[in-house]
Amino acid sequence: MIIHEEICVGCGRCQPYCPTGAIRYDGLKSRIEQDICYECSTCLRAAHCPVDAIAESPNVYDYPRALRRYFSDPSATHAATGIQGRGTEESKTNDVTHRVGPGEVGVAIEIGRPTLGMSLLDIQRITRAIARAGVHKIEAHNPIHSMIANEATGELKPELLGERVLSAIIEIKVKRDELRGILRTLLEVAKEVDSVFCIDACTIVDQGLAIPEEVLDSIRAEGLTWRPNAKINMGLGRAWE
Amino acid sequence: MTHSLHREGSLESLAKDYVLFIYPARGFNYKGSAPKIRHNVELLYQAGPVNMIPTSLRRNMYSGVTNEEILESITVEGTRVYSVFNDREKLKQALALIKEADEGISIMVSGIIDDVRQIAAELGITPHMVNLSLGIHGRTDRLAPADIREFTTMCGHGVVSPHLVKDMIRRVKTGKISEWDGSVIMAEPCTCGIFNPYRSAELLREKLPLYTVDRW
Repeated sequence: MIIHEEICVGCGRCQPYCPTGAIRYDGLKSRIEQDICYECSTCLRAAHCPVDAIAESPNVYDYPRALRRYFSDPSATHAATGIQGRGTEESKTNDVTHRVGPGEVGVAIEIGRPTLGMSLLDIQRITRAIARAGVHKIEAHNPIHSMIANEATGELKPELLGERVLSAIIEIKVKRDELRGILRTLLEVAKEVDSVFCIDACTIVDQGLAIPEEVLDSIRAEGLTWRPNAKINMGLGRAWE
Repeated sequence: MTHSLHREGSLESLAKDYVLFIYPARGFNYKGSAPKIRHNVELLYQAGPVNMIPTSLRRNMYSGVTNEEILESITVEGTRVYSVFNDREKLKQALALIKEADEGISIMVSGIIDDVRQIAAELGITPHMVNLSLGIHGRTDRLAPADIREFTTMCGHGVVSPHLVKDMIRRVKTGKISEWDGSVIMAEPCTCGIFNPYRSAELLREKLPLYTVDRW
């Protein structure tokens, strides 16, 4: 995003809207720090600039900077997936797709969340660690997949490494008995990254929303706990195509 | 929207915060889904969500858009709907109506696991999958403070800025706007429509005494 200096009246109204604090005064005018801006367009959509000084950068869709828009603007349709958002339908439609089956656990690494963002270099640290742990299949329908140069090593395309995204999701699937190992890997790589990520674990539940003990045991074994709130697929979907 | 399982706050506060998604599955039930999704949204209205956005019209309930405009927009196959309820009984009513209608579109609920388990049992619904939050890892020292995150994590994509939350605290504290108006302003950047302004207004009332302002 950019602010037209000749139009800006320096009211500062837009500044608090930026999730990453990229809008600051430069003299008497607001200016967007281009290196920090994630191109999420929140300032344009929500700040209601009284003089319409905020605009899209002319190079917002140039590769590789376009990644910022695709991964950071929730209303942008990702070129790699054709859907709005960073991830796939994951657990949201699993009652219909059965993407994660019995005996498996879907693990999502929510990069840069909450509201911090992450450089592609840090994302590569995570993808490399996952690859070293023996997981070479990142969900193919996830936009991250299109950024990987080498699945065996977890290397990303080198031209992307200077970019940053507000959020992204790495989605993988493991057998239940492999969950503990991948959690340990993630806790180790957490010490190397200069940002944050959240970990999700999704599993098919038993009757009465009973969470399989094998999954909970793996979580406990790595010293982790789970929040009392979760996302629950209510099992009301069906396929007809 | 994956992030809705990471909403932060006390159990008492989260007990007034349930996210409900209506989510068709690409390649499995997209074709012919639009009228079914529209019907489900009509049922949601009967239960009274406190915020909602369909992907066919990325404007929330407080943007001036009417319920009719929202319904009329749902003509695109595969439209997804994101909503939030501030009351357990309203969520239960919505689920009961959706179950009875049996349109076959996937329904997700983000909320306190024990409450959702109980509601499902009362309605005879058999949940299929749980997505657990195993916390935030890495440079957690760089995060906004926990009480600010209670607001920011109500947006799935992280576009409700911690700076905006602090600005609203300042503006409410100095009497420039009400808790409700501040909450509606904070809800606007969230294009997933799951920012709960009722909960936000309560949080503002609760947290205002903890803050002082350095400018009027």
